[in-house]
Amino acid sequence: MSTAPQSNSQSVNPYSSQDAAERAELSQIDASIRSSALFFTVSAIFWLLAGTVFALIAAYKAHEPSFMGDSALTTFGRMRSAHLNAMALGWGNNIIFAVGLWIMARLCRSPIRHGGMLTIAGIFWNLGLTLGIAGIIKGDITSVEWLEIPHYATPLLAISYALIGVWGIVAFKFRKGEHVYVSQWYILAALFWFPWLYVIAQIMIIWFPARGVVQSVTNWWFAHNVLGLWLTPMALATAYYLIPKVLGRPIYSYYLSVLGFWALAIFYNWAGVHHLIGGPIPVWLISAGIVASVMMVIPVIVVGLNHHMSVVGLHKEVWRSPTLRFTVFGAISYTLVSLIGSAMAVRTVNEVTHFTHFTVGHAHHGVYAFFSMIMFGGVYYMMPRLLKREWPSATLIKLHFWGSAIGITVMVVALQIGGWIQGVEMNNSEIPFLEIVQNTMPWLKARTVSGVFLTVAHIAFAVNFFWMLFAAGAIRAKQGPTLLDSTSEEGAA
Amino acid sequence: MDVDSYTDLMPIILLGVVFFISAIAMLYWSSKRGQLRNFDDQAKTIFTKEEPEGEISDSFPSKY
Repeated sequence: MSTAPQSNSQSVNPYSSQDAAERAELSQIDASIRSSALFFTVSAIFWLLAGTVFALIAAYKAHEPSFMGDSALTTFGRMRSAHLNAMALGWGNNIIFAVGLWIMARLCRSPIRHGGMLTIAGIFWNLGLTLGIAGIIKGDITSVEWLEIPHYATPLLAISYALIGVWGIVAFKFRKGEHVYVSQWYILAALFWFPWLYVIAQIMIIWFPARGVVQSVTNWWFAHNVLGLWLTPMALATAYYLIPKVLGRPIYSYYLSVLGFWALAIFYNWAGVHHLIGGPIPVWLISAGIVASVMMVIPVIVVGLNHHMSVVGLHKEVWRSPTLRFTVFGAISYTLVSLIGSAMAVRTVNEVTHFTHFTVGHAHHGVYAFFSMIMFGGVYYMMPRLLKREWPSATLIKLHFWGSAIGITVMVVALQIGGWIQGVEMNNSEIPFLEIVQNTMPWLKARTVSGVFLTVAHIAFAVNFFWMLFAAGAIRAKQGPTLLDSTSEEGAA
Repeated sequence: MDVDSYTDLMPIILLGVVFFISAIAMLYWSSKRGQLRNFDDQAKTIFTKEEPEGEISDSFPSKY
């Protein structure tokens, strides 16, 4: 490491060392995954924008049913399911493949081998998803929540996922050093969990349907675990990598981080059954799901405490970093959404929130305020290191952050207050159902307004991203804190 | 639900048991490999010569 005094840009520059040999290892790893990570990030942003359009249509139709009502293609059910799959499997999975595999490769200190094959697998993933979502809009949608993609598209998704997931496992196998950092645990486990969940659910519900309520049990085992054993570990892995990395300070308690991981791995699997409280399945099975859900308080408190204590005294640095501004927002949201989720699993609370907009607000709290915000942070950290350019516009980053933060806060608050009122009223047999529906209107309109904020944020993010990607010459000449070694021979790829 | 039809739930229960056992097996493997010792040192493995401890590595771009 150079001992010469460092300029501001150098002091925050991971490639600031003047010794090319010291830079070589990380540069080689980043270069090995650059093309595939860019492909997945571009795909993720396209799906984010497409999913946003579907969401706006669905949200508006919830209080104005006649909007785009002349076409079967844009009915609420199809738009809502197209939105869910575009966001979960399009935005979510593609950004996981980009950020998750990049972090895995860096922590393993192992370049990604045959990156071209990874990109080809990614192309098939996105082709399968396009086919599936086109099928949903066309009307071939299944009736199973979170598994709406028609059967003719799912084998392509399963096979292409297997090819993508293998790359993370291969990177782990060829890692340098014996120690496995907590982010690697989360990513490695999630790479096994997701295909397990997806294939089992497809077999037991779509390809060879189980009988009766077993389908429902499988459905919610799958749907809840996609959140808890796929999106959650990937986002936590990213947070556990970014927070100490950006601050240059080790995580507050590594012991707690390990405890949090193993508690999630052992207990979370049972939690999904709480979605069937009151349903025609054995009470002991539901009780087991409730116990597991409440036990999740342990890893949540552990992770929340660890994240919070890791940034204590460095709040200004958090605010100055685009990466940490998003990541810490996501980490705080993780604590809140998880504690609310555990409370929602308790029978007396669930009697109110079940079948209401409260659950919809909770889902967005988890997938957007927690998962997506952390992944945005991951993109803001990863891209300058892959392209060796700085982000072109701080204003667009701020617009993205405030649009997302305000939008998702308004959405969650509106849907959860409106949903709670809805639940209380539905439990009162003296209130006519139509009156209850009418009473949800202001909250549904607030959701549409929040969608406008989110749309502006996503457009700002996309403009900044593609500006960075394509306006290479103009951006490369700039000087600033996130500029990564303008003298590098590799320059802008 | 009729007690006789509990057998319908066996596949999902067995999957849950296998899932649980696989998590315990991973925990055992990590313990045998020394992953649950020297936590303070292990927390620092994230830092390298290229990206050392004590350096802040991200902030807003300076223009626009």
